Amino acid sequence: MMRSWPVIVAMFLALGGLSAVAGYEMAPQATQWREIDWPFPRDGWPAGRAFRCGVAECGAEVEVYLRPKLGFCNCDSGVADDDEVDRVSDVDMISPRFVPLKAGDVVDVAEMRGRIRAYDLDGTRTAVGIAVSHRCDLMAVAAQGGADAARVQRATLRLLESREIGAWMAAAMEGR
Amino acid sequence: MRMGGRVTAVCCTFLLVQFANAASAQQKIGDPPEASNMRLVGTSDLQARSAYQPTIHHQGDRWIAYVGHHGGTDDIPDPVNPMTGKAEPNGTSIVDVTDPAHPKYLRHIPGQEGKYESGGAQMVRICDGKDLPKGDRNAVYMLRTFGSEAHEIWNVADPANPVLVTRIGGLKDTHKNFWECDTGIAFLVSGAPGWRTRRMTQIYDLSDPAQPKKIRDFGLSGQEPGATGAVPTELHGPISTGPKGNRVYFGYGTDKGGFLQIVDRDKLLNGPKEPTPDNLKFPEIARMPLSAMNGAHTVFPMPGMPIAEFAHDKEGKSRDIVMIVDEAIQNECGEARQMVWFADVTTETRPMMISSYTVPEASGAFCERGGRFGSHSSNESMAPVYYKKLAFIAFFNAGIRALDIRDPYHPREVGYFIPSITAATDKRCVTIDGRDRCKVAIQTNNVETDARGYIYAVDRANTGLHILELTGAARAVAGLP
Repeated sequence: MMRSWPVIVAMFLALGGLSAVAGYEMAPQATQWREIDWPFPRDGWPAGRAFRCGVAECGAEVEVYLRPKLGFCNCDSGVADDDEVDRVSDVDMISPRFVPLKAGDVVDVAEMRGRIRAYDLDGTRTAVGIAVSHRCDLMAVAAQGGADAARVQRATLRLLESREIGAWMAAAMEGR
Repeated sequence: MRMGGRVTAVCCTFLLVQFANAASAQQKIGDPPEASNMRLVGTSDLQARSAYQPTIHHQGDRWIAYVGHHGGTDDIPDPVNPMTGKAEPNGTSIVDVTDPAHPKYLRHIPGQEGKYESGGAQMVRICDGKDLPKGDRNAVYMLRTFGSEAHEIWNVADPANPVLVTRIGGLKDTHKNFWECDTGIAFLVSGAPGWRTRRMTQIYDLSDPAQPKKIRDFGLSGQEPGATGAVPTELHGPISTGPKGNRVYFGYGTDKGGFLQIVDRDKLLNGPKEPTPDNLKFPEIARMPLSAMNGAHTVFPMPGMPIAEFAHDKEGKSRDIVMIVDEAIQNECGEARQMVWFADVTTETRPMMISSYTVPEASGAFCERGGRFGSHSSNESMAPVYYKKLAFIAFFNAGIRALDIRDPYHPREVGYFIPSITAATDKRCVTIDGRDRCKVAIQTNNVETDARGYIYAVDRANTGLHILELTGAARAVAGLP
């Protein structure tokens, strides 16, 4: 007994330490982005991660929300069109009244292909929706900001292109 | 030292038991089926094609099973049809089940090229020409989907030699249609061009199957062309009670964000048809949301059910019930439990969930077995033998489950059958640390019954068709000899 418990405690501590290191490494290193609590109520998908970038760093306050939606994509055709971005990218969680500014574009994020589209929110803010897929799984990204859509989009893509977020997305898509 | 040894021994024993449980739960080729109050009568391998909807039709003095298929698999995109010797994209199997102990495979009609949900011909409904107002009296019509791109009608009067009658194409998806045989009105689950959703309803008059007439497009406000903002959950499938019942029950969602929509059929067919928000809302009577963690695959109406417990009550002796069946889509319990719900819709504008049913996971360590565990669909036959008495639920790796639903406030399982796997049963995988970890398990996907009382279960993982009958207490519930 006396010999077993210290071993078990040590294993837990070691695992905890490894988790802490992993968690630190998963946080975006770019200093301008600060992780915040997931701001939306519970829905059918588990909560994801949310980040905020201030005016000083991004030119306007920008928030980005991203989460995997496993088994939510057409396994063969992927994210086929802009309607799919409207449906799945989580922009509706920011506001159910979003209006696309124009047709979307193809985008690659963390070696996953999909589409990106910009929206007007209530005439006062802009949003960006991104949906990229791998096999039958989807990564949904929504962002909002007080700046013009191009600036919000640039800031969002910069965050997604960071090594840390790329690694987290790959892990979240079941270790892809 | 001795305590330490005991702790280690207890831990090791615990781990061994867990491992043994998981290992023993997995099916192996040669294992017998698991059953209670249900018995296997016959099988057909369906040419090892992944199966969706079976529809059983009494055709003259024969009983014919029409089985829709998903597309092929990564390993075998186009299985070989042994009757032709050719590789054929999965489509529709036609099987003579007059003698259910010896089903006779008659014909495979190829479907759309494509794998899994992207090909095949999943859905199938049958109407006799003599029942349709303008049909050929000698014809038997099969309405089927053709992958994601079309709906087709075939004349299957000679089920071994079907003839294509007509095609409704140009779609971006299809799914679980419903066809009223006495009126010819068809509710086609389609992805119509311009609509913002993958699946909505196209309503057609198919009273003369050779001359389809479009009545209208229908969906939820926000799904129509030109709308902006949030897009409501996509349709899975409707069931109509026809002109007499004047209701259409629509199930939306699959495993998330689902709801039941109750619609006035007359207003739907004869109301304003332009897909504007007001016109789409016009025929709706009520909408009952499920949890965000559940969807609605099948919504099966059972109006006017007498409830024994309420027999002496002044009001509410009988209730209008809708059984709602969610669809599990993730392997190895990778989502919230998808199960069966019963809604009391007697007060239509205030529908209320009254009960639920799921297979107890621990009864078979189903999360460890591989593949999907959870509900998918129910039988949809309204033949008197089982209607409002017993319901049969396809529960993927937990097989087929028989429920006594005479008191829908307290549904009770009275039987089950989990088919054996075969060499044809396909693997199901989850990704762990970037690698696929695969298991082989039965994946009972859909179920239907016939007026004789036989139960037809089909497998998504290519194991084929299992024809079953009830025994013991379950048989007594149906009043079968």
